[in-house]
Amino acid sequence: MALLDNDVRQQVVEFLKDLAGPVRLVMFTQEFECEYCAETRQLVEELGELSDLVSVEVYDFQADKEKAEELGIDKIPAIAVIGKEDYGVRFYGIPSGYEFTSLLHAIRTVAAGEPELSEEGKKFLSEIDRPVHIQVFVTPTCPYCPHAVTLAHQMAIASPHVRADMVEAMEFPHLAVKYQVMGVPRTVINETVHLEGAAPEPMVLDKVREALQGTEG
Amino acid sequence: MEIKPLIAGFEPQERPEGGEGEKPAVYDVIVLGAGPAGLTAAIYTGRARLKTLVIAGPLPGGEPSNTDLVENYPGFPEGIAGMDLAQRFQSQAERFGAEVVFDEATAVDFSQQPFTVQTYSTTYKGRTVIIATGAEPRRLGVPGEDKFFGRGVSTCATCDGFFYKDKRVVVVGGGDSAIAEGLFLTKFASEVIVVHRRNQLRATKILQERAFANPKMRFVWDSVVEEILGDETVTGVRVRNVKTGETSVIETDGVFVYIGMVPKTELFVGQLELDKQGYVVADRHQRTNVPGVFVAGDVQDPNYRQIVIAAGTGAVAAMEAERFLDEYWQTPHEEAGPS
Repeated sequence: MALLDNDVRQQVVEFLKDLAGPVRLVMFTQEFECEYCAETRQLVEELGELSDLVSVEVYDFQADKEKAEELGIDKIPAIAVIGKEDYGVRFYGIPSGYEFTSLLHAIRTVAAGEPELSEEGKKFLSEIDRPVHIQVFVTPTCPYCPHAVTLAHQMAIASPHVRADMVEAMEFPHLAVKYQVMGVPRTVINETVHLEGAAPEPMVLDKVREALQGTEG
Repeated sequence: MEIKPLIAGFEPQERPEGGEGEKPAVYDVIVLGAGPAGLTAAIYTGRARLKTLVIAGPLPGGEPSNTDLVENYPGFPEGIAGMDLAQRFQSQAERFGAEVVFDEATAVDFSQQPFTVQTYSTTYKGRTVIIATGAEPRRLGVPGEDKFFGRGVSTCATCDGFFYKDKRVVVVGGGDSAIAEGLFLTKFASEVIVVHRRNQLRATKILQERAFANPKMRFVWDSVVEEILGDETVTGVRVRNVKTGETSVIETDGVFVYIGMVPKTELFVGQLELDKQGYVVADRHQRTNVPGVFVAGDVQDPNYRQIVIAAGTGAVAAMEAERFLDEYWQTPHEEAGPS
């Protein structure tokens, strides 16, 4: 059975019709597919049918270990959204429910390679010279979450040193425990700094600054 | 659990005819908020062929997207998932040409025509504005709440319920939201303890019946939460019995707060007449004290807060905005429009 019904398919076609360039959805699963691995694969495959500019590649997390390492994929199901270059935009767990919106956003901005951020934000991010890893924990039923995920992904596009993951908390309970996730969205930056809720851009940028100060010296 | 892929709260890449992605210099109608009130207004103004912009704000879909199941909106005899209903409102508004942007107003200027709405990313101008910014959950205002907000204290059961699988939670409040979301939490939690300041619930009878019949629900009457306890995580709440004055500690892993709402009107202070509680003051035609600025939904409704009423006031505001624009164009005035 199709995951995307006709209404949603139509909206996706409409949304993806003006993509600025090709986008690859590089998906990782494994032979004995994990919970939601099969659905995630099906979801990206159905998406790939809806735009000539969106291509889908499916890899096996075990058998294609080198590919996974190259893209920094450490858990599955995983989707890397890659455009002209790999901006570090990742989804871990199924981007369904409200997170489907985040996936579409990611495809559109990765295609353009141009983040939708303020001028100050873009300038600050372009000057970053050390790694920043943003993890946004979500649940698919959280209406506030796509805002936080999309913002993090924009930041990844703005800087080669920033990578940003959506992490679906229900599928990675050990990470939810590790990062003390008891509510979503929860954004964790470089393991140390965290932020609750869907915060506006300037507030997230302040947290990135804070995380970078923490790694200085 | 099965979760349907949803599209919500982003801008369709539609380009107005004749312009390469250009926005109109001045919209006929700017709607602030994309809940039932704002989107219903946009359905009406879109069908009236008014150039309509909806600035979605922080919670596209509004309160319904925060609600597990909506059972009292007519036309859905089996009930409908809140997020599904919110999505349908938006699709319907977009179908009639409303442009919905995922942005948030940061300042407004209603002192001159056209009105100005500043957002995080840009500035919009509109000849009319319909305010439908809604209300947000009231906080308890007790020690420990800020510390644990988002990590043990929540106002969104649909978002965070999962984290309380086989755990014990406290729900504060006795109204519809408290009981409906409390019932939703019983899908995950081992026990849901409702702390309510009165000795009976205010919630709709059918919800009360379900709550009393649910073996996972327990009630602590005549009590208020005075403190949220814990070092790293929430471990309990201190409650005080308002009749006896006695305090006690209830052990819990999480606290869900549903003690009413506060209107989201900070942006309008000094520009619109607000009542003592901060709600926008409206007349029967959803007009504010500024001609051309209308209001709908929970932001002007301290009493009912129902989807069907929000939608109804949205329709009234839209029809009044249309009337205002008709009169506006019939009266000589200085055109500040497209430059």
